[in-house]
Amino acid sequence: MKIEMKNISRAFGAIQALKDVDFSVQGGEVCALIGENGAGKSTLMNILGGVLPADQGEILIDGEKVEFNSPAESLNSGIAFIHQELNLINDLPIYENMFIGRELKNKRGFLDLEKMESKTREVFEKMQIKLDPKTMVRDLDTSYKQIVEISRAIMMDASIIIMDEPTTSLTDQEIERVFSMMETLKKHDVGIVFISHKLSEVMEFCDRYTVLRNGETVAEGLVEEVTVDQLAYSMVGHEVRTESLQRETEFGEEVLRVENLTFENNFKDISFSAHKGEILGVTGLLGDGRRELFEAIFGSGQIESGEIYLKGEKIRVRNTTDALQKGIGYLPRDRKENGIIKDMNIFENASIVTWPIFDNWGVIDLERQEKEFEQQVKDLQIKMDQKNDPINSLSGGNQQKIVLAKWLIASPELFILDNPTQGVDVGAKEDIYDIILELAAEDIAVIILSSEAKEIIRICDRSLVMYHGIIQGELKGDSMTEHEIMRLATGAQTNSRQEGS
Amino acid sequence: MQDKDREKGFKDWFLDNWTNKPIFSTGIALVVMIILQTWSLGFDYDSLGSWFLTWINNWINILRNNAGVGLIALGMSFVIMSAGIDLSVGSTLVAVGASLMMLIDRGPNGILINLGIEGIPAIFIAVILSLAIGYFLGNLNGLLITRGGIPPFVVTLATMKFYRSVTQHFMQGYNPRVPMQFLGISNFQIGSFRVMPVIYWLLIAGVLYFVSKRTTFGRQIIAVGSNERSANLSGVNVKKVKRRVYAITGLLVSFAAIIQVSRIGSMDYANAGSGYEMEAIAAAVVGGTSMSGGRGTVIGTILGVLIIAVMNNLLNLLGVPPFLREAFKGLILIGAVLMQKKQKSV
Repeated sequence: MKIEMKNISRAFGAIQALKDVDFSVQGGEVCALIGENGAGKSTLMNILGGVLPADQGEILIDGEKVEFNSPAESLNSGIAFIHQELNLINDLPIYENMFIGRELKNKRGFLDLEKMESKTREVFEKMQIKLDPKTMVRDLDTSYKQIVEISRAIMMDASIIIMDEPTTSLTDQEIERVFSMMETLKKHDVGIVFISHKLSEVMEFCDRYTVLRNGETVAEGLVEEVTVDQLAYSMVGHEVRTESLQRETEFGEEVLRVENLTFENNFKDISFSAHKGEILGVTGLLGDGRRELFEAIFGSGQIESGEIYLKGEKIRVRNTTDALQKGIGYLPRDRKENGIIKDMNIFENASIVTWPIFDNWGVIDLERQEKEFEQQVKDLQIKMDQKNDPINSLSGGNQQKIVLAKWLIASPELFILDNPTQGVDVGAKEDIYDIILELAAEDIAVIILSSEAKEIIRICDRSLVMYHGIIQGELKGDSMTEHEIMRLATGAQTNSRQEGS
Repeated sequence: MQDKDREKGFKDWFLDNWTNKPIFSTGIALVVMIILQTWSLGFDYDSLGSWFLTWINNWINILRNNAGVGLIALGMSFVIMSAGIDLSVGSTLVAVGASLMMLIDRGPNGILINLGIEGIPAIFIAVILSLAIGYFLGNLNGLLITRGGIPPFVVTLATMKFYRSVTQHFMQGYNPRVPMQFLGISNFQIGSFRVMPVIYWLLIAGVLYFVSKRTTFGRQIIAVGSNERSANLSGVNVKKVKRRVYAITGLLVSFAAIIQVSRIGSMDYANAGSGYEMEAIAAAVVGGTSMSGGRGTVIGTILGVLIIAVMNNLLNLLGVPPFLREAFKGLILIGAVLMQKKQKSV
């Protein structure tokens, strides 16, 4: 099957989201659709997926003109769209989710659960997925949910699968799994549209690419004929740095020290320390317990035993308010779920953390908040229209900067950032790295949690690699390589010490 | 598109507000209803002056009759904004009312009189203590919800049963005598108008408006209701905010109880306040409060209370049979929510 989109245009109000864009994909190939947030990737694919109508242009399937007025029509033509927000029902087991809307029934008209389960098992075997179809979707992490959704598309005999940033919330290991699955899909002659920010994945895995910028096609061709730098250049329109930002400096006094911290199986016997002006990275694969560990330090999770010392003083963090008052900041992962509050405007989202700090007898100090807000907008180069606009009117990168800003206004001494560049485009990613470096320069102890080894290597001075709730090893300087991080993250023992001595 | 923006006339202004501002459309609905109500009041009076006096009196009656529910609806809208619900308000009203009467009773069992406290000081102490009791009962709801981790619907359903039943048990066969001075709280006249309950309601509404717009606590309610996880990870003490929302609702219920007892000097423990929770929820929802939390305003809730009240009055003036009136309330509720849904999807 071959799909061609020709001269597609689409406007939202006064904004021209797509101008005369051509795009094509056929069975057995992986075509990357790349571009910064707001470049028009999602709009283009929403048109293909029948979610949005195009103002102009046509879609051809094997040379024949088609029109999609709803996602169902697009799906019937063999096009499956895996959205970033996964479309699964948490309270049903996997196998029932696989058949939502097309449930199998037996002769008496009841649900044929056994058949649904065995069919699911078949697909999983074909795709080499080690999942029990009876597992509740609630108990799966995002990566497995993703895999379930891809399997569902395959079961529906989709010939073209559109994946909207499928690897955003996955760890490196999971990404490998999704890729090997995509490899199998290719062999089955399925075409894949791969929307992504991550150029390394595009280089590694895709056959062709199309780059959109401001709603226009700026580059397309075969992946083997370009370099990462060229792609990044087309996306952003200017040079992008790729070198490591590690600095060779001595760090100040200790800010955080953790001793033998334990909670059930989430994290066990954790001890480490972080210093003024240092950027400490914490990485690992899914289930390594790093999020649970740092949520506990921030007062949002539980601790069974062990001690936390802040600036040498033993503390107990009772809740997040307590953490905030003690000078600990926390930028959570999954901005939509944990970072922003959609019913509040940009300004309120940026000031929520400091309301209780600056208020007078409970009354919000608007004047001071506005002053601090404007300062952050300037410092972080946040692009926005009115400060009273809804938070959702901002691009992903700018939303993330607002979440950063709310903590920066509180000027924490210890700032924990979990996946700070998740779901932001290349340009904003660089901005965020710059901001983090600046924080360290201002003597804040920064801790970065990330599943991207490259990110850790790029900005961290030192890193801890976690594996199943324990710190498997500590890396710094030249020993901090992708290879070494991956080795430790998969459970191998550290051997860098021998090499070092 | 751009051409349209330029020649923005009244129609566009109206449509823009109508679709984007819940308070605007609710306000328009209220105005329409007031016009209908004024019209059905009739014009066959001797003079414009006597017609106007009737109109004003009718309005004061409406407002005074709804001051109690109006206060409770304000608390309820805070609770709903925080993504909770409080079914216990009616029973709390009875519990506080009963405590108040026991305190100020001039008979042999009156608590304060047995302690030798009488007159204005007794009234003052009784009022303060009943406010404290209401706050305490609301706080108890909040504690069970936050510390106990029980869903608000279940907790307040349980306390709704508990508060009323215990009150009824202890108050059977007990007929307190309320001192005349106490009735002045609600019946004090300004000019020839008995407007005190209305004044209390609007004063408290003013305070709550400020709280919801300009205080840390008020804005944190929206944050908690909209996205509890985000709020928690922004350093908001979610449990404390929730607990205080229920406590403040308890406090507002106490004000309503004081108004109610001082208006008529007695209370029917079996029926007083029953159904108030639904009235309050209806008013909050008609006023644009989102049942899933995160959205709602004080002004919207006041408009919601007024819409339902004016409609009641209108149906009464039109001679609609009493049993049918509740049906109209149901219709208004559905209509309001449908309208808000349309606004959201635009």
